[in-house]
Amino acid sequence: MDFHAALALGLPLGIGIAAIGSGIGLGLIGQGAMQAIGRQPEATAKIQLAMIIIAALAEALTIYAFVTMFLLSGKI
Amino acid sequence: MGLEFLNRVRRTTLIAGAVGAVVMATYAGPWTGLALAAGALWSLLNLFAIERLVVALTGRDRGTPATVKAAGWAIAGMALLFAAGALLLARLPIPALLVGFGLPFAVLTLKAASSLLLGSRVWRATVASPWRAALVVATVLVAAWWVVPGLMQRPAGAQTAATTEHAAPAELAAAPADEHAAPAGGEHAAPAGEHGGAHSESKGPQKFANVITILARAFPDAGWAHFLHEFEAVIYALFVALILSVIAFLASRNPQMIPSGLQNVVEALVEGLYDFIAGIIGDRHAARFVPFLGTLGIYIWFMNLFGIIPFMDSPTSSLNVTFALGLIVFLYAQWIGLRGLGFVGYIDHLLGQPRDVTGWMLAPLMLPIHILGELAKPISLSCRLFGNIFGEDMLLVAFVSLGITSMSFLPGWAPGLPLQLPFLFLALLTSTLQAAVFMVLATIYFLLMLPHDDHGHEHEAQHAHSH
Repeated sequence: MDFHAALALGLPLGIGIAAIGSGIGLGLIGQGAMQAIGRQPEATAKIQLAMIIIAALAEALTIYAFVTMFLLSGKI
Repeated sequence: MGLEFLNRVRRTTLIAGAVGAVVMATYAGPWTGLALAAGALWSLLNLFAIERLVVALTGRDRGTPATVKAAGWAIAGMALLFAAGALLLARLPIPALLVGFGLPFAVLTLKAASSLLLGSRVWRATVASPWRAALVVATVLVAAWWVVPGLMQRPAGAQTAATTEHAAPAELAAAPADEHAAPAGGEHAAPAGEHGGAHSESKGPQKFANVITILARAFPDAGWAHFLHEFEAVIYALFVALILSVIAFLASRNPQMIPSGLQNVVEALVEGLYDFIAGIIGDRHAARFVPFLGTLGIYIWFMNLFGIIPFMDSPTSSLNVTFALGLIVFLYAQWIGLRGLGFVGYIDHLLGQPRDVTGWMLAPLMLPIHILGELAKPISLSCRLFGNIFGEDMLLVAFVSLGITSMSFLPGWAPGLPLQLPFLFLALLTSTLQAAVFMVLATIYFLLMLPHDDHGHEHEAQHAHSH
């Protein structure tokens, strides 16, 4: 397999794999936040804030894969 | 023109030398940058030694043992400096070193000249009236516009001739490669074929055409269009800043006790942001940091949304802009840490605040972790914003082209399906959310750097309570 083919195959796969991990993480974060809001509705604002921050951190990993893809996609 | 003036010269030289060294290291190689920095530093130390010597020899209490000792130290330091200078001259590129040597003197001359100019009657007369000052600035700009290209003409012309000569065989060689690449990256080959290698578009996927790319395509050989195209993101970012400034000016021009219209909207936004940030960073620090953080949030929000306007482009979909924003936050956070904790406290913070044996054992491990964590912050901030906004743009492009291709079995006049419509709402959502995330994370980085003594007290109080 030459370099271009390997890159063309690997880049989308890389994003997909990163997205699986991020998706699991986001699901867990959302689950925890929803349960917390259900238990303590009056703390909704604080929980949502923390949830958004942690969701951004989890989501960033996919974004890194995405950025890597765009950096390398010119070489295909 | 006393010692205070020398202090100012020293400070300006340090800043100019650091900036110049970074620029040279980026564009002309690390050794040149190092040489510039070393030259400026050497010259500054030399000036310092001379100043000490002069003060010791001509000061009020000359002749006392202390001043004699100081003069001796200064002479010894100068001898050492000259030895170091000889070593530097042997090791580093000489032109950059000489520029570095000359830097303090250039700063000195410029500062003296500017203080003379600022004191002169002509300057005061010009500054007194804003119209006259604007006229002078406009005249200078127009003159620069005509004169600078004239000065640049000869070397630039020679350079382009040389590059075209070099480019011709390269282009021939590149042609088969381009054809080879055409099936893989269709859009990439199209602009490259249009006007040769000299004006080749930036690589990578294409975004929607905006005003500047259209202008650059319409005038492919005009210097100004090329300039606009090259600094596209910066120009749009400045344009957004201009819009925000005009809005802020209009809203606060004639403040009413009972606000209405624009003032009402802006006040609601500012108050909401203030409460939001104060909720994270605490009321004590809010007044100090809300102006910066709130501006950052609003600015990024507008820049993100700017790409949804037809023929415009989000400046934040360029990594350069987002990295600049991330770098600002990073530098400000370090500054807060240095100012609030002091230098020793800052190092202590980086060591993980060791207070007992275990802490000190872990300190060598904590130091690289903390430093890497600090360095990762601007990278993660900028990559997250860039990736989200760029991805959002790419998604819109993909669905617009899908909508056009899906209708392409009809005759040529048929419009495409507006398949991108739902994703425009998604774009609105992610634009707002990413601006908020950037702002919140910046706030939290600041919060982590602030001396949290009240936090510690709370901790201790809890401990006491539990015992």
